[in-house]
Amino acid sequence: MKEQNLQTEIHLNQITFFLNGKQITEDVPAGISTLDWLHAKKQMFGTKCSCNEGDCGACTVVIAYPFEGIITYRAINSCLYPAAKLHGKHLITIEGLGTPENLHPIQQTLLKYHSLQCGYCTPGFVMSLFALLAMNSHPDQETILAALEGNLCRCGTYNSILKAAQELSAKFSPSEIVPEWCRNTEQDLYSFNETDTMFFTKTDIPQQVNCYLFPKTMKQLFDFYAEHPDANFIAGGTDIMVQKNIDRKVFPVLIDITNLPELNRLYLRQDGLHIGSAVTYQQLYESGIVKTDYPVLHKLLAQIASQQIRNLGTLGGNIANASPVGDTLPLLLVLDASLWLQSDLEIRQIPLNDFFVSYRKTALNKGEIIKEIIIPPVKSNSYIKFTKTSKSKSVDISSVITAVKIEYNEDIIINAALALGGVSALPMLSQKFTELLTGKKLSTINIDSVISEVEKEFEPLTDIRGTALYRKKLIQNHILLYFQELQKEEK
Amino acid sequence: MNSAVFHLSGPLHLCGKSHFIADEPPLQGQLYAKFLFSPVAHAQISNLDISAAEKIPGVIKIITADSIPGENQIGTVVKDEPLFPETEIMYVGQPIAMVLAENEYLAELAVKKIVLKYKELPAIFDPEEAYKEKQGYIQERIIARGDVETALKNAPFTLSGKTETSGQEHFYLESQRCLAVPMENSRIILHTATQSTMEVQEIASRILGIPVNDVIIEVPRLGGAFGGKERGATIWACMAALGAFLTQKPVLVKLTRDEDMHLTGKRHPFTSLWKVGFDEHGKILAYDILLLANGGAYTDLSIAILERAMFHSENAYYIPNIKIKGFACKTNLPPNTAFRGFGAPQGIFVIENILAKIAEQLKIDPLEIRLQNAYQNGDKTPYGQEISDCRLTDLFNILAEKTNYLALKQAVEVFNKNNTRFKRGIGIIPVKFGISFTTTLLNQGSALVWVYIDGSVSVSTGGVEMGQELSTKVAIVVAKVLGIPVHQIRVESSNSQRIGNASPTAASTGSDINGNAARIAAEKIKMALTECAVKLLKQKHQLNVSPEDIVFKEGKVFYKENPDACVNFEELVRFAHSERVPLAAYGYYKTPALWFDRDKGSGNPFHYFVWGVALAEVEMDTLLGEHKIIKLTVMHENGQTLNEEIDRGQIEGAIMQGIGWCTMEDLKWNEKGVYLSANPSTYKIPGIRNLPEELEIEMIPSATEEASVFGSKGIGEPPLIYGLSVFFALQAAAKEAKKDAELSFPATPESVLQCLDGLYPIG
Ligand SMILES: Cc1cc2nc3c(=O)[nH]c(=O)nc-3n(C[C@H](O)[C@H](O)[C@H](O)COP(=O)(O)OP(=O)(O)OC[C@H]3O[C@@H](n4cnc5c(N)ncnc54)[C@H](O)[C@@H]3O)c2cc1C
Ligand code: FES
Ligand code: FES
Repeated sequence: MKEQNLQTEIHLNQITFFLNGKQITEDVPAGISTLDWLHAKKQMFGTKCSCNEGDCGACTVVIAYPFEGIITYRAINSCLYPAAKLHGKHLITIEGLGTPENLHPIQQTLLKYHSLQCGYCTPGFVMSLFALLAMNSHPDQETILAALEGNLCRCGTYNSILKAAQELSAKFSPSEIVPEWCRNTEQDLYSFNETDTMFFTKTDIPQQVNCYLFPKTMKQLFDFYAEHPDANFIAGGTDIMVQKNIDRKVFPVLIDITNLPELNRLYLRQDGLHIGSAVTYQQLYESGIVKTDYPVLHKLLAQIASQQIRNLGTLGGNIANASPVGDTLPLLLVLDASLWLQSDLEIRQIPLNDFFVSYRKTALNKGEIIKEIIIPPVKSNSYIKFTKTSKSKSVDISSVITAVKIEYNEDIIINAALALGGVSALPMLSQKFTELLTGKKLSTINIDSVISEVEKEFEPLTDIRGTALYRKKLIQNHILLYFQELQKEEK
Repeated sequence: MNSAVFHLSGPLHLCGKSHFIADEPPLQGQLYAKFLFSPVAHAQISNLDISAAEKIPGVIKIITADSIPGENQIGTVVKDEPLFPETEIMYVGQPIAMVLAENEYLAELAVKKIVLKYKELPAIFDPEEAYKEKQGYIQERIIARGDVETALKNAPFTLSGKTETSGQEHFYLESQRCLAVPMENSRIILHTATQSTMEVQEIASRILGIPVNDVIIEVPRLGGAFGGKERGATIWACMAALGAFLTQKPVLVKLTRDEDMHLTGKRHPFTSLWKVGFDEHGKILAYDILLLANGGAYTDLSIAILERAMFHSENAYYIPNIKIKGFACKTNLPPNTAFRGFGAPQGIFVIENILAKIAEQLKIDPLEIRLQNAYQNGDKTPYGQEISDCRLTDLFNILAEKTNYLALKQAVEVFNKNNTRFKRGIGIIPVKFGISFTTTLLNQGSALVWVYIDGSVSVSTGGVEMGQELSTKVAIVVAKVLGIPVHQIRVESSNSQRIGNASPTAASTGSDINGNAARIAAEKIKMALTECAVKLLKQKHQLNVSPEDIVFKEGKVFYKENPDACVNFEELVRFAHSERVPLAAYGYYKTPALWFDRDKGSGNPFHYFVWGVALAEVEMDTLLGEHKIIKLTVMHENGQTLNEEIDRGQIEGAIMQGIGWCTMEDLKWNEKGVYLSANPSTYKIPGIRNLPEELEIEMIPSATEEASVFGSKGIGEPPLIYGLSVFFALQAAAKEAKKDAELSFPATPESVLQCLDGLYPIG
């Protein structure tokens, strides 16, 4: 009886991609992570699972795909990466790089510096280093740290890993790092057909994810949604996949929006910077416009999550997720960002400030997606800054995150905004701050009273990332810090 | 000695080809285990109904206390811990039932269908409360010398207080796991990620009601342990064993990260109440301390951990009148357990905190006050062990010289004068760490060495490889004895059929005990081979030499005066075999001259001490509570190291764990005894950005007599203490911002701002 009940009927669309240099066509169950797929279907165990939620980097693999005219190599957390996304890409795992008899230069150098102890984190570090060195000629210290901050080593080998990374960075250029079998796939990666659209896993026993869909056009996206009103959208998956892996949440249908060209655009218009909702943090970070025209955003991006997560996560996901401690939200609020929302019926634009309704509730209607995020141009005579406070220096969710914008006309403040995350159910603008500053000169402002008035606006909660009192204190100190800087600038 | 030797498993690890338990294809018919964990901290079970869960197709068996064929008891030191509770639940996360199913998903579904009814009982989490209620694992323990009461009364100055340190999650990257496979004749093999093969073997046999020799333990290597698998692996190994025994199918028990963090024991939080008396020079005259270890729900290793905390309460200082009391508190948390340092860091933290207070009160330099009190050769510890080979004063002086201490101090003063938002501080800490299990009987070990016909060598010891590179060190030892290259030696997995009754690989004794046992075995073989070499050299080179003049070196064997007339190792081995000389040997080692009388609180519990000093300089952001570690400098007295790079790695790693413990690892539970920060997104361990900007570790060799294999010293635990220098540096920095700031543990941004509260440095 058991036997029969267990029989599962599986219909799958196949995907085609490269695995360590070899092109393969594979059945992929809906929603399975690349890590689980490597273990369960390929019996490749070199890639390790330690947390299954994006925090440790033990599962780091590298994916290569064409982007802006080159093949980019990106380190990602395979535990959060749906295998369905692999279509048309090159998946490089630790099994591909070197052999014990013939180590890759990265492996050789790590061995030389005794950069490993128990070895459980080691494959992940090797892969993070591989992506780093494949993409950067002689990266500096900050780039190295950014590439490795998403890899935990409880044996604490960081010092020797850093030394090895420094030597590698000094000695090797990407051409020596990327092996020939990788380069050989590059040409083919440009000429892949578009991904298929549907992945079904049908079984007697309900799975966590039964169906994974890849719309190719906006129309198809909304058609899919009409067919599956219980569907969820997935972009980078760095929130969704954690809910799936850890909270064991069931997602009957996932609609992946990352292949839609409309959502992958990044362009500057008169009304500001338009960011497609599927653009990743890393793409934004690397964008020249962001670097020059929105330097604060550029800086903020570096403080979000880890390199692996930044390679997947999106601004759209951060906004739709509507977490009170979403790191981008306060800055976007003070920058007067707005959203283009699209459904099968209409496209509408709403200010970001109107988007957050109540705790984790947004103005998104059922079946509506965020299409673009628009950030108006930044005025030249302005002070814009953010402050993130969290327990750890890196890869940590904020206890409190704030952002401020002050625009001057001569020395009169004509516009002042302060937004805070982590101090109420939603990321929010302070009304008092705007009230108390607008029309004033900096020198006439009573800082203590601004602090106490703003503080009164918020009733933070106590949770594991901080007590209510601590959060109150952070509100005070963040504001104080901004004023200290403003005063310094004025001098 | 052999820094050119790299990690023996390194190339495998680097290519993802090393074997870890359960990171391998599943066996035919393998079953997966999931558990019903207790949702309450303390309760009486009134009903456990598994009938609905059993009906789910694909669920093979549900196991509860009733299913156990042997004794439902996994305690060792004290037999007080059931595998599954029969009536009384003792902590949140205690396993109540185990589901075995054909896949994990089904097992999970079935767990949700189990119905547990219980009556909640009052629970205790606070050690002081447990102490008051006399809820503990042993009578209060005492180690004392002199007359503390009188000395306190007569002391020119006294201070008293309460000091707390929090727990710490091990966060080994490889979670707890065991794969149990049934074999013929009711035997069972356990592929278990444990540091303690003997314990798992005995307790699994007890649970199954079969002789110990029917349980086989196999440990390839561990993906980190740090004490968390000394005792922590036993329960999961027994679960897997029971499952496989009852179903006669392979059973995998593997915890997820979140499960592991929620339900496994951690470093003991300690609360200490103390009084100290001192003179105007900062010399401590009397110290009275009560250490309360929060032991959690069962005895586990709490007694030994408390004992080590007591043994290290005076750290590196001679205190004439001292009374150290200790109590292992029984609370309703998961049973707290071994964690690198094993209580010593907790004990040391208190006295260092006190020294900081005294220095502040008397305005004495922190280095000076430590020099004042430092042990000198000939002093005795409170438990009567004589201090010899102590170079503490030297080490302090070298540290001062290396860091240019006076100039550094001045620079910090100037910086603090010129800055309000950012403050710098210096922290200094010495360590004296006793090496040996304080439970004397554990200080023994075995090794088995085979020389095969081609001259290649296989070495088994009772030690477990968990990243400390025990295998590399053992290979270095055997290579040195037999005069052959390291790569000719394989160090095998830990297997109970090759080495039985092995002590845990713990207490920084791994290479001392197992390295010595391997040395002894190899020396036996060498002795036999030497006899053969005499014959062979005569046959081949017509040399007449006596055995003591024969040298084994670089794969060659020769008369010391004539290296050219040699035989090679393989040739000698073949010759010995033809002569019917045994080519294997068993080595047994026990650490000499150890004893301790627990009732009197005196004895010689340690083979030797490891000494060292560290200095940290930090910069604190008083507005945001964050900090950076500008530098951390260590002088570590290291005997004659077997491999300097391995030891350096151990020091660096231990320091990072120490830094994590005292600055960021914030382990909290709620009023119901549920760990709140039990996942990696809320419990933060150090990452690469937490490295000190400058980390300098100097190994000071010592021609010490009191050391172990080839003059080397244990390295695993002592350097964890160096990390605490960061806490004291932060405390000093906080005091620069606010005189009476009292930084609480750990020094998270929150705790920094808390201690500076009310501070508004503007401008
Ligand atoms: C280890 C780790 C560290 C992290 N660190 C940080 C951090 O430092 N700061 C921070 O703010 N966050 C952090 N996060 C959270 C997460 O990475 C971000 O929220 C990220 O921006 C989510 O983007 P995504 O594309 O991956 O979202 P997804 O997981 O794909 O989606 C998130 C939610 O948004 C919805 N959604 C996504 N795109 C759209 C769209 N275009 N229209 C409508 N709905 C949409 C999805 O349905 C889902 O409900 C971290 C996560 C992890 C795992
Ligand atoms: S397993 Fe930890 S990040 Fe994927
Ligand atoms: S080497 Fe053990 S976790 Fe990194």
